[in-house]
Amino acid sequence: MALLGPDLRSPRVSDRKCKLSLRQKKDKFVAKLLNKYPPLFNRWVESSTFMEFRDSPWTQLDKDLSRCRLALITTGGAHLRRQPPFDMTDPAGDPTFREIPSDASPSDMVITHNYYDHSDADKDINIVLPIERVFDLKQAGDIGYVNHRHFSFMGHILHHHLDTLIEDTAPKVATALKSDNVDIAILTPA
Amino acid sequence: MGLIQRSIEDHGIATISISLSKEITGKIRPPRAVFFGSFLGHPISYPGQVAHQLCVLRFLLKYLEEIPTPGTIIDIDAAVVDNCAAAAAGS
Repeated sequence: MALLGPDLRSPRVSDRKCKLSLRQKKDKFVAKLLNKYPPLFNRWVESSTFMEFRDSPWTQLDKDLSRCRLALITTGGAHLRRQPPFDMTDPAGDPTFREIPSDASPSDMVITHNYYDHSDADKDINIVLPIERVFDLKQAGDIGYVNHRHFSFMGHILHHHLDTLIEDTAPKVATALKSDNVDIAILTPA
Repeated sequence: MGLIQRSIEDHGIATISISLSKEITGKIRPPRAVFFGSFLGHPISYPGQVAHQLCVLRFLLKYLEEIPTPGTIIDIDAAVVDNCAAAAAGS
């Protein structure tokens, strides 16, 4: 008769929550370190593996900027308070996106992203998603229109979620922008 | 982020992004990118620095028009953005 010990593959929910909480605290701590000491970020980049491409897609801009419709895309984890937060419990990240109405107030927005220190962006969302600044550009005549919606991702996307991003969620956002007749897009990391 | 940019460009929309790491951007090869030497969490300057934020965005628009070759990363010194913001404040 086999001895029955604790099943380490299936921790109790309370244990799992505890472990996730510790991991999330560690993620936030590492994020603060990377923000504070840029050489650490450079070392992280050197020791990490990224997808590599030999060519780049290209769309020729054949319109004056002053007539163009602009949309923003951020990977800074911004979203409306009423929207579900990005999933911080999955170590491989979250490849989903949130649609941000362009007339959203910064006070309606929050950031869910444990992999960078967003304490400054919490004070002014424009430093990762320049939702107010693009209206300044329109008013000054730099661009023609601000699209009625922008899009936000949480830029920690790894392993199998990369397939979802490439095959599903990124093309969905691209298709939505195309259906809005967007001419130009600015993408901001965090 | 470069993967999302590549998809949007593929759908016929001209895109430009801010790079936080020339090494990563060089591998993903988005069509157009600008490296300002920004710190993590601060791609578009700091809270309340409206002139800086607008300068960063105007540089992005400028290079969205001017970059002629796919996969180009433009390197802009932080002092150039500072001077732009100072000039805007003085005008």
